[in-house]
Amino acid sequence: MSKAAELAAKTPQFQGTHLFDRLSWAKENLDGVQSDYRVVYEDSVDECAKILVPDPNWMACALQGGILPPVQSYWELAKDEAQPDFVKHTRGYLLHDTEPMPAMTEEQAIEYLIMKDCPQSVWQTWNEGNKPKMVICRKDQLPATREWRNAWKISEELATDHNIAA
Amino acid sequence: MASELRVNTLKDAAGNNSIATSFVASGSAKAWVNFTGVTSTAARDSFNVASLTDVGTGKTNVVYTSAMANNDYAGAHYTNSSANTGEYDFNNAYAGVLGIDANRTTALIKVAAFSTSAFVDSSQNDVLIFGDLA
Repeated sequence: MSKAAELAAKTPQFQGTHLFDRLSWAKENLDGVQSDYRVVYEDSVDECAKILVPDPNWMACALQGGILPPVQSYWELAKDEAQPDFVKHTRGYLLHDTEPMPAMTEEQAIEYLIMKDCPQSVWQTWNEGNKPKMVICRKDQLPATREWRNAWKISEELATDHNIAA
Repeated sequence: MASELRVNTLKDAAGNNSIATSFVASGSAKAWVNFTGVTSTAARDSFNVASLTDVGTGKTNVVYTSAMANNDYAGAHYTNSSANTGEYDFNNAYAGVLGIDANRTTALIKVAAFSTSAFVDSSQNDVLIFGDLA
């Protein structure tokens, strides 16, 4: 049995367990995974491009499976927080009681993370307009230095029918 | 979980120094991350962090995996406000900034490293978050 399969077999049944406790288990039992993927996106014409970097411990949870809640749970909490009379979350159980996500590939994990951590206005309409609002790329496709970082924009030469950075 | 102890109070072996488990839970960090913002933003290690978003020079969003209950939580951010990594490479005119208002939600907090007169990409950033979880 491979190490991954051995670990998967040992993953406790986490549905109903607080997500924080699952993360504690993962921290103790899983090695972090540094992803080479980066997500570059623009959510405001007045601001520079933003770069989302997956956390290694989170990526380990995603690849392991059985730990992270469905991304829809986060959307529901975001809806609650957007209400003008929001004081505190009362539906935290959505993170803890829903069936955890199965093991993902690294690419599936990036898609999940985009839907969790990028604004919906970006990923839902990333390919509408003259250029993409969002690009998934490799770390080494980003500029090698931070020069003019606050002026970085997604290249206008990229067409919206391209799925990867040029 | 494979096993758990259910107790309300912890005491030492002599029966002294009692502390409520709720006190331990409330006082524990709910998220932390040690990251660099130089060249390419990257976490060295973390807990309860799903991603870091580089939003510009010296500015980073720390996004949680397990959301906070409300946005009234507390935290701390140390930064050396320097791209250098030597033992004493820090800028004494620095400020480690923690976001407020829209930059502090139950899902994320924006942190920034400020040095003298401008935001700066820093080699050492330590963020600690305390509060209640959703």
